[in-house]
Amino acid sequence: MNNRTKDNFIAWALLSPALVVLTAFGLFPILYAFFVSLHTWRIKRDAFIGFKHYLQAIGDPLNLLAFSVAVLVIFLIARFRRNSSSDSSILVKKCSFVLYIPAIWLLLVYGLLGLIETGDYRLYNGFRVTIFYALGTIPFQLSISLFLAYLLFNSLRGKGAFRIVFFLPYVTPAIATAVVFRSIFSSHPLSFANGFLELLGLEGERWLSESHSIVTLALTRLGFSDLPVWLDTAFPSLALVSVILYNIWVFVGYDIVILLAGLSAIPNHYFEAAKIDGANSWQLFRHVTLPLVSPTLFFLSMVAVIGTFKAFNHIYILKNPGAKDSVDVISVVIFEQIFEFHNAGYASAMAVVLFIAIIFLTFIQNRLLGKRVFYGT
Amino acid sequence: MEREYSRLTRKILLYFSLVVGAAAAMFPFLWMTLSSFMTRGETIRRAFIPENIQLANYVGAWHEANFGLYFENSVIVAVIQVFGTLTLSLLAAYPLARMEFRGRDTIFAIILATLMVPETVTMVPNFLTVTWLHRNTPILWLNSWPSLTIPFLTSAFSIFLLRQFLRGIPNDLWEAARIDGAGHLRFLFRIVLPLCRPPLLTVGMFTFIGSWNSLAWPLLVTNSSEWRPISVGLQQFVSEAGAEIHLQMAGAVIATIPVLCVYFLIQKEFTEGISMSGLKG
Repeated sequence: MNNRTKDNFIAWALLSPALVVLTAFGLFPILYAFFVSLHTWRIKRDAFIGFKHYLQAIGDPLNLLAFSVAVLVIFLIARFRRNSSSDSSILVKKCSFVLYIPAIWLLLVYGLLGLIETGDYRLYNGFRVTIFYALGTIPFQLSISLFLAYLLFNSLRGKGAFRIVFFLPYVTPAIATAVVFRSIFSSHPLSFANGFLELLGLEGERWLSESHSIVTLALTRLGFSDLPVWLDTAFPSLALVSVILYNIWVFVGYDIVILLAGLSAIPNHYFEAAKIDGANSWQLFRHVTLPLVSPTLFFLSMVAVIGTFKAFNHIYILKNPGAKDSVDVISVVIFEQIFEFHNAGYASAMAVVLFIAIIFLTFIQNRLLGKRVFYGT
Repeated sequence: MEREYSRLTRKILLYFSLVVGAAAAMFPFLWMTLSSFMTRGETIRRAFIPENIQLANYVGAWHEANFGLYFENSVIVAVIQVFGTLTLSLLAAYPLARMEFRGRDTIFAIILATLMVPETVTMVPNFLTVTWLHRNTPILWLNSWPSLTIPFLTSAFSIFLLRQFLRGIPNDLWEAARIDGAGHLRFLFRIVLPLCRPPLLTVGMFTFIGSWNSLAWPLLVTNSSEWRPISVGLQQFVSEAGAEIHLQMAGAVIATIPVLCVYFLIQKEFTEGISMSGLKG
């Protein structure tokens, strides 16, 4: 046996235990989930039903086709506009921009609305709530942690102690902290959140048990009545906002620690050069720190998007009957199909749809944001 | 003089923001600990500070919820998971980081892709797999430790983290070891392993947190209290204890203490190691 084959053998021998576990419990389940989703499957395997579960969940295939075509067209227009930027006139660019309108119309009316009408309400409500959850969590979480990490980076004393404290929420068992937040955001008139409102001279709210949207609640307070139902659909419920606040609290510490590492990797002479050029502290942050820390921010936003679409534990344990389905992110919907309805086949079909959505989102995010990241000279 | 003054205000503002952030991070812990020492009446009145410290709450929660057994289960499961993950992930990370063989990058990409798979996708198939193994192998999987540990004996995240660290080890070390006649295995166990303390502690901590917190999977593969971990125990206790917030909080503190102890013991290496996950390469 020569050296090369020997090394090859060693490499595969070292890899194999981990690969066995990952294949058996990380990769094989994807195929298996697809197999299960094609069957009626309660406790045991039953009849093969093909794509019926998918039709039930997603809706009319014609609408799905319209949706996919619209996405493809938008992608192609964007690509065309980018490629033709240098050699074509402004007229061509303007004309191609107009093409977006029918594409988006097709996407929304025939694609999305048609799908929602013909598909499973719970699935689409799950996606709606998940999108609210992602939009409510990620930007705030990232800006708070960037702010605090930047301050920590600049302060000399107590850096280690602050870092430990900020990271505590992430380390603590979710079930334990959820007990606390359930009590803080309880509908009880004496709960901490209601005490805070009282301090501001406002009436109490039902927080985690409130299924109405924050906009509906705010307008009701201002004296409007008979508000349209769509206001509850178009905005997150107060219960979801409470869940979001809890999740921001949990994950800010993790982001701070990673951002601190990204910040300390920036060579000091960049800051010194900018200071010599007379940059003030805002300019220093905007034009030196932010671009140089953008790879870390991009990494964190990728992790956060995948994380929010996978999120389950931290939402499920705060779920309260009063919130109805307004906090049921897609993972919760799937989990309930498994545990309450014992419908493994249908749950797997929805899980496969979720997985495809995550892959699609990661791809889009990589395309849109990946180019704006500054990786240095 | 004026410049001194503005520097001082900036410093005060800086520390003020940090302290506000820290207070927000700490507040729920304070609340939890204080409430766990209160009487039932005090929690209903929403008093902030308990008049007399009620240690009896802890005794009550411990006995009522069978925490002793759950605690033991969680510790056993966590220890197996931590040591398994450290071993398997380090062994896998080494060839991915420091050896050249065909298909290396493909394997690494596939491993990373498993990060995108949600638990909801894998839960049902894994349950079916474990049930099949339970019936067709001599080992008892369901209602026992194998189903709680073996599927989690490694993770893409830990392999990724360790690989990042191993890539940073200077090549001179390997050249020197090779001149001394050492092969890859000896290099790994004699030179690399002792250097890996911070990332191994980080991976260990993450695995420990994940194991200690897991809720859905243990609920699925155990149907008696015999092997249920503390997360499930606390979840049940909380839903049964209902309005008894003082007992709930005592239970929450009990479940939190081990994680905090481990974290404080190794926090320096932990934050050092976690930072590596944010670097690209």
